[in-house]
Amino acid sequence: MVSITIDKVSKSFGKTLALNNISLHIKAGELFFLLGSSGCGKTTLLRHIAGFYSPDKGKILFGTDDVTSTPPHKRNAAMMFQSYALWPHMTVAKNVAFGLEEQGKPKSQIKDLVAEALDTVKMAGYSERKINELSGGQQQRAALARALIVRPRCLLLDEPLSNLDAKLRLEMRSEIRRICKESGLTAVYVTHDQKEALSIADRIAILDSGSVEQVGSAKEIYCSPRSKSVAGFIGETNFIAGTVTGCKTDSQVDVETPLGQFTGRTSDPDWHPRSGDTITISIRPEAFRLTESRPEVNGITGQLASLTYLGEIAQYGIKAEGGSMINIAELNPQALHQPGESLCHASVDKDDVVIISN
Amino acid sequence: MSKPIAYLVFLVTAAFFGLFFLWPIATTVEEAFVVDGRFTLDFVHHIFVDPIYIEGLTNAFLIATCSTLAALLIAMPLALISDRYIFPGKTLLSSLVLVPLILPPFVGAIGIKQILGQEGALNILLSKAGLVDMSTPPDWLGEGRFWGIVIMNALHLYPILYLNVTAALANLDPAMEESAQNLGAGPWRRFRKITLPLAMPGIFAGATIVFIWSFTELGVPLIFDYQRVTSVQIFNGIKDISGNPMPYALVAVMLFFSVLLYIVGKHFFGRNTFTMTGRAAISTKQRKAPPLIGILCSGFFACIISLAIFPHIGVILMSFATDWYHSILPQSFTLAHYSDALGHELTVPSIANSLKYASISTLLDIVLGIAIAYVIVRTRIPGRGLLDALSMLPLAVPGLVLAFGYLAMTREGQPFHFLLPNGNPTLILVIAYAVRRLPYVVRSAVAGFQQTSVDLEEAAQNLGASPLRTLKRITIPLITANLIAGALLAFAFAMLEVSDSLILAQQQPHYPITKAIYTLFGALGNGHFLASALGAWSMVFLAITIMGASIALGKKLGALFRV
Repeated sequence: MVSITIDKVSKSFGKTLALNNISLHIKAGELFFLLGSSGCGKTTLLRHIAGFYSPDKGKILFGTDDVTSTPPHKRNAAMMFQSYALWPHMTVAKNVAFGLEEQGKPKSQIKDLVAEALDTVKMAGYSERKINELSGGQQQRAALARALIVRPRCLLLDEPLSNLDAKLRLEMRSEIRRICKESGLTAVYVTHDQKEALSIADRIAILDSGSVEQVGSAKEIYCSPRSKSVAGFIGETNFIAGTVTGCKTDSQVDVETPLGQFTGRTSDPDWHPRSGDTITISIRPEAFRLTESRPEVNGITGQLASLTYLGEIAQYGIKAEGGSMINIAELNPQALHQPGESLCHASVDKDDVVIISN
Repeated sequence: MSKPIAYLVFLVTAAFFGLFFLWPIATTVEEAFVVDGRFTLDFVHHIFVDPIYIEGLTNAFLIATCSTLAALLIAMPLALISDRYIFPGKTLLSSLVLVPLILPPFVGAIGIKQILGQEGALNILLSKAGLVDMSTPPDWLGEGRFWGIVIMNALHLYPILYLNVTAALANLDPAMEESAQNLGAGPWRRFRKITLPLAMPGIFAGATIVFIWSFTELGVPLIFDYQRVTSVQIFNGIKDISGNPMPYALVAVMLFFSVLLYIVGKHFFGRNTFTMTGRAAISTKQRKAPPLIGILCSGFFACIISLAIFPHIGVILMSFATDWYHSILPQSFTLAHYSDALGHELTVPSIANSLKYASISTLLDIVLGIAIAYVIVRTRIPGRGLLDALSMLPLAVPGLVLAFGYLAMTREGQPFHFLLPNGNPTLILVIAYAVRRLPYVVRSAVAGFQQTSVDLEEAAQNLGASPLRTLKRITIPLITANLIAGALLAFAFAMLEVSDSLILAQQQPHYPITKAIYTLFGALGNGHFLASALGAWSMVFLAITIMGASIALGKKLGALFRV
């Protein structure tokens, strides 16, 4: 178990800047997520950690050990590939044993360790199967066993669940967390699926166009997005443009918007907005409550324009004064409001009004 | 693979090509144009004023044109049927239809002479039926055996066209034709306006190879004793090679025309011109033929196959015949030729020699093929495109040209004389075979690498295997099937190689099979029969090789040829 330090790493492919001066510190034993839309550089960064790419600039350290120019086969950073990359000409047991054979472990020991590793991923009894005789979920477990058995310094996972069906994905993601924590592994997990990240990550780094946008726990990222792109990428949100009119403390900022007066908190404690600054407010749909009347601050009024009923949630689209559309989600809805009804009102707590610098 | 190793592999393979492909060609051209350190066009000029050489070139052109057209005539319907229909026995038939490619054509020529000659089996059969008067028998092979050569070439080379055309047709989007049909075009118009133009690059690619091949074919005209063609004139010229630049000038002219054709083909038909390979995808437009048409299709395939192996059946019959003259079939059969052949001083050593030359050169091809394919597919180093193109060029350069180049570069006083120590051609023949057959191995290895996901290799490195260990434990096992397919073609063609074998092996103890057959064929007495027996032996060897590998591969025979 080691910490991983990415120190000012940059990488270009031709004219495209794939990684732009990235610095990250991943703690020992942490389950760390790289999250972003496709093309944001998350897989490129993971392949740098594995050693398949070498950075144009910057360094990569495992603990205090500089591995920047160490070839992949000497890094002992086991990777789980998106395609699993299980070798079709070997059995499950042969696949899993490969890493130990390369380490030159004695045969008898390898046999025991393979059995143990297959047991850990609940694949005992499949050892003599061919790879094409396994289901997607079984392949995924086999690939995990193959990566874990070498007792790697860290485990790298490249979209490991993307080839599984929705139900299996739910099951496997908690399984991965369990195994990582039980083995005390430092794990770096690449995904574009925010639910995967929010549900099992210790910490998440959001990447966009080759840069780190924000690093934090799931709650920090969701509740205090520091940029519009992070707020927009994670979950759904309503953006309202406005101007600061007063700032008593970080958690008490007054804003004037075309929809009315809002008071909220900043997402970045190091940032102190001043009166006159133009900013953006982010309010999650589920933070709104439909109300009988409109409060003086942190309230909106508008025409109900649409209703989407999803069972546990009802989503309303409200055409607010000033013309912008506000999305509101009501959990466990009782009476549904039909579009076209007269004016409706909604309010929001000031803790749920997040103020983001433009 | 790390960058330095990739560059090293690139340099080594490029150097190999430079030394054993470009250098011999350059040497040949130099011999043709330079005398006493002075550039001259005299020799080439002489070719174009000497009526004998002009006739040779004209005949070579006519043979090549007719052979190509005849091969097209055979291959096109086969390819169209196989592209459109599923018919009874299709898998087996479409594999067998490729077999003539590896049957030695100049051995087949012996059989053709026996069957279609004026005193041959066909005329006897026809006269028995009262259709032919044996006092003035019709000459099926044409004056000077011209048509015999064309028939043999066409029957030997049509599989190359068949492979190219099927690949081209399989790559066509069925929607192309369907939209034409939708707009009211009938079947014939669809074929002429849509299918044919779209398949043209594939047809032309195959036709170019067939043309160049028959343009420079040496073995078949030699067996037919057809002297009035350039390749044979060149071959005869080496008998008095000392100081005679005319064979070199002729070779240079042949090279010029071949390269011209290659360039024209590339220019007009662009990409993939020389893939005689192309893995045909299973297309959705295939439908099951109605019963009657299905049987017709199968029958057509079977007809072509029997026609194509007919000459070789003639050879086999002849190898068992006590006497075969003025009769439809041999009068009686014997095994004596086989035991005589085994007792003859030429045969057993020649078989051993050929096995030795062919296997070493195939091994060399596998090593080079893997290295070149690795650089082409798995690295990004500049110049890999050049290597790719270079590795395909031996298909376009006549074997005769290279054979002469090797002869010239290993003469006394030349820097590569050490490759022909005391006239022992082992080294130079191995190199010659390897260079000529390298394209097959490279293509098949490239296909293997392309089909094998890089992830599989990276996963091995990720678990601690060095690049070389990864190659050994993961990559090579995964591409074995491709390598075997390519190596088999290389081996089969090396066993049957004519130009290099006839020209470079000058001493009897070093004769490969082909030269032994040629020598026996020219011998008096039972030479014809011994040559046939040895020819039959060589076909048995090839059959065993191919069958064995096809069993080992657990694949259909056809997959071996679709490199």
